[in-house]
Amino acid sequence: MSKKIFIDFKRCIGCRACEVACEMEHGEARIRVFEFPDLTTIPFNCRHCEKAPCLEVCPTGALYRDQDGAVAFDPLKCIGCLMCAVACPFGVPKIDEVNKIMDKCDLCSERRAEGKLPACVSSCPTEALKFGEINEVLWDREGSFVSRLKEARERGEKEPIYLL
Amino acid sequence: MEELVPVVCPWCSVGCRLYIVSVNGHPRKIEWDYDHPNTPNRGKLCPKGVASYQFTISPDRLKKPLIKRNGKFEEVSWEEAIRYVAQKFKEIIEENGPEALAFLGSERCSLEDNYVLQKLARALGTNNVEFAGRLCQSSNFVARSKVFGSPAQTNPFDDIVKSKVILVWGYNPAETNPVLFGQYFEKALDNGAKMIVVDPIKTKTAKFADIHLQPYPGTDLAVALAMLNHIIKNELYDKKFVEERTDNFEELAKSVEEYTPEWAEKVSGVPAEMIKRAAELLATGGNATIVLNEGVNQHANGTMTALAIANLIAITGNIGKEGVFSGVIPGAHCGLCAAVPGVNCAQLPGPVPLNEENAKKFSELWGFEVPREPGLHYQAIFKAMAEGKVKGIFIMGQNPARSLANSSLIEEALEKAFVVVSDIFPTETTKFADVILPAASWYEKTGTVITQNRRVMRSFRAIKPPGEAKPDWEILVMLARELGVGEYFNYSSVDDILREINRAIPALKGATPERLNSNLEGCFYPCPDEESETPRLFLKGFPTKTGRAQLTPVKWVQPGEVPDEEYPLWLTNFRQVGHFHTGTMSMRSKSLIKRWPESFLMINPEDAKALGIRDGDRVRVETRRGSLVVRAMVTDRIRKGVVAMPWHWGVNFLTKDDAIDEFSKMPELKAVACRVTKEVVE
Repeated sequence: MSKKIFIDFKRCIGCRACEVACEMEHGEARIRVFEFPDLTTIPFNCRHCEKAPCLEVCPTGALYRDQDGAVAFDPLKCIGCLMCAVACPFGVPKIDEVNKIMDKCDLCSERRAEGKLPACVSSCPTEALKFGEINEVLWDREGSFVSRLKEARERGEKEPIYLL
Repeated sequence: MEELVPVVCPWCSVGCRLYIVSVNGHPRKIEWDYDHPNTPNRGKLCPKGVASYQFTISPDRLKKPLIKRNGKFEEVSWEEAIRYVAQKFKEIIEENGPEALAFLGSERCSLEDNYVLQKLARALGTNNVEFAGRLCQSSNFVARSKVFGSPAQTNPFDDIVKSKVILVWGYNPAETNPVLFGQYFEKALDNGAKMIVVDPIKTKTAKFADIHLQPYPGTDLAVALAMLNHIIKNELYDKKFVEERTDNFEELAKSVEEYTPEWAEKVSGVPAEMIKRAAELLATGGNATIVLNEGVNQHANGTMTALAIANLIAITGNIGKEGVFSGVIPGAHCGLCAAVPGVNCAQLPGPVPLNEENAKKFSELWGFEVPREPGLHYQAIFKAMAEGKVKGIFIMGQNPARSLANSSLIEEALEKAFVVVSDIFPTETTKFADVILPAASWYEKTGTVITQNRRVMRSFRAIKPPGEAKPDWEILVMLARELGVGEYFNYSSVDDILREINRAIPALKGATPERLNSNLEGCFYPCPDEESETPRLFLKGFPTKTGRAQLTPVKWVQPGEVPDEEYPLWLTNFRQVGHFHTGTMSMRSKSLIKRWPESFLMINPEDAKALGIRDGDRVRVETRRGSLVVRAMVTDRIRKGVVAMPWHWGVNFLTKDDAIDEFSKMPELKAVACRVTKEVVE
């Protein structure tokens, strides 16, 4: 199973450390934090889809899947046709105005090769960004939910409690 | 050659470790330090930390010493600059005595830099030595020293995770200390802790709160008094703790009798019911973390608020044991590096009070007579300068022209005196300088840092200083030699200075260069010998005369200025995650200024409607001291009747300097009356 970046919106405080970390690594931030007036903040990056539309429409094979399952990118093959941008449902690939080629998250392939976490995940002070396999992340979440249920039941022996 | 150099982040006081990937003294990038899991940040960093070396390579850096001649700055050699400063200082001492000189230390410089600075001031015979802590922590410093005998943070950050209640007062950790918030506060919340936030603004921290009290700025004292009243009246306090470990409970109970939650509702605008709920949760919810910051400190009634909260901590028994936490989390990473070596007009290294006995002790240690008369405090130095009593000032890494209240008056004062500034960038203050000395920035020197969690750590030189810039301690030693007191400053390295500090300050005796160089996780101060450290304070007793916490009666004090018909709104200020203090460094960081580009004014939709202001309009914010034009941000995040601006863009131009806290000398920086009008573009 491939490893991806998962986002826990509840934990995010919108500090944009991920953006700055990505910018320091790649020269341009490939992850973006959206802020809403009610203080909701949503960091958003490439999903590295299992059936990636960008990869499927790429006419030159500049987009490819690397051994860890990330949708990576070969700048030498890109012709800047923008097909990937059109196909992506999330609007992730962006054009690099200077070189007229596309630019997108590759889950920090250089850092992964050295056994390090992607830059945005390394930085995230609240651990809203997690790097892992989907099952690991889901089990974690399920585990904490179950433990909270158990705690609620124990407390419920003394006082009324409602499980929603 | 590429190498990983371990450094301590130069921004806030959490004390994050990271590596700089340095190629022959030039920074290539940063790397997260996951090798030392016991450091406070566990590898994580906030945006300022990630972008932290960007400012050091800014083209604006000061590279050569400058002397102002005929109104223009000319580049000169180090020898000439130092000779010129020394000659001027000597003239001032001869004509007016050493009290006509003043020295400002910095919470941005290392322990060693600050130690040398205060030693130089005292070697010249003046106690006019201060740093910006006076504008930051002094209210809590006074209050906590009085109640607990020591102002320090009590426990390691890990204890925050163990607490069941978190009370955040006048503080927004999610924006000012994101790593602390994410790694400790959020984890406590995961464990089921309840959070109470006291802040007029709905901050990113308040988003996570169970109870959010929104008092008018400066009236949170009323909320604290009402909480004390409610807890005492309903006997919710920790009876065992009060009996065994505190004094004066009766006096305290009597002093808050009349301050009922209903009274507080009238003063602060917070519903009495909510105050009661918060008080009950704090008193009965279990182990509590109580953290405060500038929202409490920077008021003319700040000491009283801090005292009330210290009393709250004591009567609920949330101190002196494992699993609780209380303290102030100040802005700069090295506040204790200035406070501990006595960069204070009335304290000597330790810090110990300036009295005959201590002065004698240090006179023997240093070999010169330490002046006995207490010097002038921060604001008083500038007042004396404006009056012509202080004629020369050495400013190390400070920007008083922007950071002090009512800054236009400060500018007048700076124009009158002979001003020497050692800094890394041109600032509002350097405009008024007669001599500018280029200093090495944090990553360009090796030094010791004491973070606010009392952790003593070493940061190493990762980058070559630009041009001829030098570490501050080297500049001070050069100046000392030229002034003829060089014999007391025989240092050839930072380690020499630290060894002297080990001898001068008993609590730092164990923080030797060898220990800090080999142990990057550092040790908790006080560390009386090389093996020991003190992660938790007050486990047995308090460093007060009786060994028990001294509960102190409190009373209601008005904030420095309240709105009236002419100026009907409260103006307060806050910080943003991407900027730091007056922005000298963060605004020169490309990634930060791009994301947090300009000042704005938060205003409630109802107020905005009444004033005909829409989101994005340009508005003029006016107080009795001056006015500024900014864009309006119409938002529910601020309560009606209050407006707020980020303070990085010179808001202190508008604040009040004549309302000063009687105990801590803190000016009223957070609550002033203002009016807002829509700016019509012709």
